[in-house]
Amino acid sequence: MIIPRTIRRLQERRTHKNGPWAELFESYSGDEIVSLDCETTSLDVSKAEILSIGAVRIKGQKVKTSDRLDIRLKPPASLTSESIKVHKIRASDLSDGIELDEALDKLLAFIGNRPILGYYVNYDIRMIDKFLRPKYGFGLPNKAIELSHVYHDIIKWKHVGGDVDLRFDTIASKLDIPIIQRHTALGDAITVALMYVRLKHGQAPTNTH
Amino acid sequence: MSDSFKMDNIPFSLLTPEEQATVEASLDLEYYQQGEKIITAGEAPEGVYIILKGRVRESEGADEDQHIYVHYQNEDYFGGWSSLRGEAIHDFTAEEETICHILPTKVLIDLIQSNALFADYFQQNFSAKSEIVAQHSRNQDMAEFMLSKIGNATVREPLVVEEGTSIREATRLMREHKADCVLARKGGRYGMVTGTDLLDAVVLKERSLDDDVSEIASYRLVTADPEDYLFNALITMTQQQIERVVVMSGQEMIGIVELTDVLSYFSSHSHVIGLRIERANSLDELREAARGLNDLIKALISTGVKIRFTMDLLAAMNGRIIAKLFDLTIPSDMQPHVCLIVMGSEGRGEQIMKTDQDNALIFRDGLSWKDMQATMNRFSETLISFGFPPCPGNIMVSNPQWVNSVGDWTQKLNDWAESCEGDAQMNLAIAVDAKPVAGNQALYKVARNWFLRHLRNNDVFFSHFAKAAIEFDTPLTFFGNIRERGELDIKKGGIFPIVHGIRTMALEHRILATNTYERIQALADAGQIRDDNGKDISEALSLFVQLRLRQQIRRVEESEDGFDPTPNLIELDKLNKMERDLLRDALQIVKGFKKHLSLRYHLGG
Repeated sequence: MIIPRTIRRLQERRTHKNGPWAELFESYSGDEIVSLDCETTSLDVSKAEILSIGAVRIKGQKVKTSDRLDIRLKPPASLTSESIKVHKIRASDLSDGIELDEALDKLLAFIGNRPILGYYVNYDIRMIDKFLRPKYGFGLPNKAIELSHVYHDIIKWKHVGGDVDLRFDTIASKLDIPIIQRHTALGDAITVALMYVRLKHGQAPTNTH
Repeated sequence: MSDSFKMDNIPFSLLTPEEQATVEASLDLEYYQQGEKIITAGEAPEGVYIILKGRVRESEGADEDQHIYVHYQNEDYFGGWSSLRGEAIHDFTAEEETICHILPTKVLIDLIQSNALFADYFQQNFSAKSEIVAQHSRNQDMAEFMLSKIGNATVREPLVVEEGTSIREATRLMREHKADCVLARKGGRYGMVTGTDLLDAVVLKERSLDDDVSEIASYRLVTADPEDYLFNALITMTQQQIERVVVMSGQEMIGIVELTDVLSYFSSHSHVIGLRIERANSLDELREAARGLNDLIKALISTGVKIRFTMDLLAAMNGRIIAKLFDLTIPSDMQPHVCLIVMGSEGRGEQIMKTDQDNALIFRDGLSWKDMQATMNRFSETLISFGFPPCPGNIMVSNPQWVNSVGDWTQKLNDWAESCEGDAQMNLAIAVDAKPVAGNQALYKVARNWFLRHLRNNDVFFSHFAKAAIEFDTPLTFFGNIRERGELDIKKGGIFPIVHGIRTMALEHRILATNTYERIQALADAGQIRDDNGKDISEALSLFVQLRLRQQIRRVEESEDGFDPTPNLIELDKLNKMERDLLRDALQIVKGFKKHLSLRYHLGG
């Protein structure tokens, strides 16, 4: 049975109100956001494995790259040649990675109850939930911010007719943001963070065509 | 982060891998929109800012009174000074959307304490900076190659014989050791005997083979210190027209450096040209030799030879070409009565490409020589045919105005000094850089000494003369606008203010050297400028000349007729990040120097 995320979150919040992870379910009052990205072996959540997780905190107009999470996991059995082509990560690159359980602990500690920002962020959250839920009994309860929605909301007023091109590279180039280490989890997380800060604090991009 | 932050840019490339890892882990990124203040004057910046993308201006004051000092762009860093002081002096504002890396002050201070080289680069003056760059830039191999010391590799063990050894025995030993010279020890002294000496002694002077070889030795040895640069040994050999120098460390003889060894170090063929100049017996032969010079310059520049060495070598070469031409053109009975001087950049020994001929002739008062002007015309024409372009201002011996008796010459200098007119001032500037190259140098010295005495304490003159140095603006705000106005006239902006300012000070203090670097040194020795300022100014000048020359060579190669119509232009987009950094610093130094001149000579504004 598919339960809508919001309802599920309410359930889980009730369940964990007095547990060790209660803090994660409190509503966030600070001014930080965490930009998150996962590199995985497939785009199909049910089949995919996580290869690496990158996250960085955003505070105001600053991307705190000194305060970051850069996790590489032990190579999963499903590491196929297809995904190697996409991510350029080979099994040997992951040989010094850590176990998934340890990674999830670190991730929860890093994110806390801050809002999570990402590009197609629901995919990343679902990936993490897939591994989080069996062990902890809950999925990430955090508020999610979708970069392409933020972009779309700002762009659409400038953009009469037609669809807005929401491809990652297009957004980056429209916003004139340099892409940092494409296809590494941390690099994408930083790039997304910069695009977000740019959208929130800069003027709307003028050249949208 | 490693691809957005360029760790191999100076000064971060000076850090150890561990320190670089610390930097990497400590950096934050911040976004600024157009017009946003990144650092505000009077406040403490968070650290040093390195631009990932965008453009930042450093300025003082607001709105109309705003004075912009510098523009920074991608990969430049700023705020280092302010963060170390704990307070910014100027405002730093984003001129366009800007993303900066920020390295926190605390980390910066730790690095400065742990890494001396990094600290030097961050805190030191310009000359220390360019020294560090020279040692750590990609041309490292070349720089080391040029800066190799005499003592390093090339010194040969000399063949030494005692006084009393016969000529026959000495020759046999030379053959046995495959040496082409021998040192004869006589008492505590060494004398050199070369193969040529032996031949002369036996064949021409018909000495006996049993004669003592120490009797034909030459005891006036040209020596060099093992700590000296090999390149200077080459210059010595070129100037003195010899093929070996004896290496002495104090009183102790180390060995001999042979020309062939030096040449094997220097791929170019400077000495070959030098020899050809020397052996030329006709104008045609001399012309052939002179034409080789341009290739030599290119070879030296492309191998990364320090610009000052190139200038020294070239000045020596050009001087010898002109002296040789003088020999071939001026009748030998007239030579003791005239003196040929070169002026302007040639007189200072600072021209690189063969520049316009600026020369003049001074002759003995009352000399009667009917063909003098005709001979001078021929002299100028020949130089033109050698590839020395005629002077556009017609300052050359084919112009009778520049052929004067000693008395007329001093009178002319005097008149120019008293006139405020532009041409007169320019003539004087050119003339005071004069250097005698051939003929009777005493004639020149008489005139010069009289003139320097005459100028003593003439404050009005110096104030007026100095003015030209601050006439042109020194552009520091170009850098941000590379796309719009990506060029600057480096002669007006940098070279001339230094050369003329130093020239004025040298005149005032009656310094006889004409070369700007030597003048700077002499002024520093005399306590007229601070040592470190002098070094900075020298380095700045070298940088300008070097950048200009590289662009000249490129333009000449790209043009169809081998002619560069804009020799003093620096195209900023052709410079790399390091060169831009250095150029900016060097122009700052020029600004400071001009300020100094204004105060010293009461130039106002």
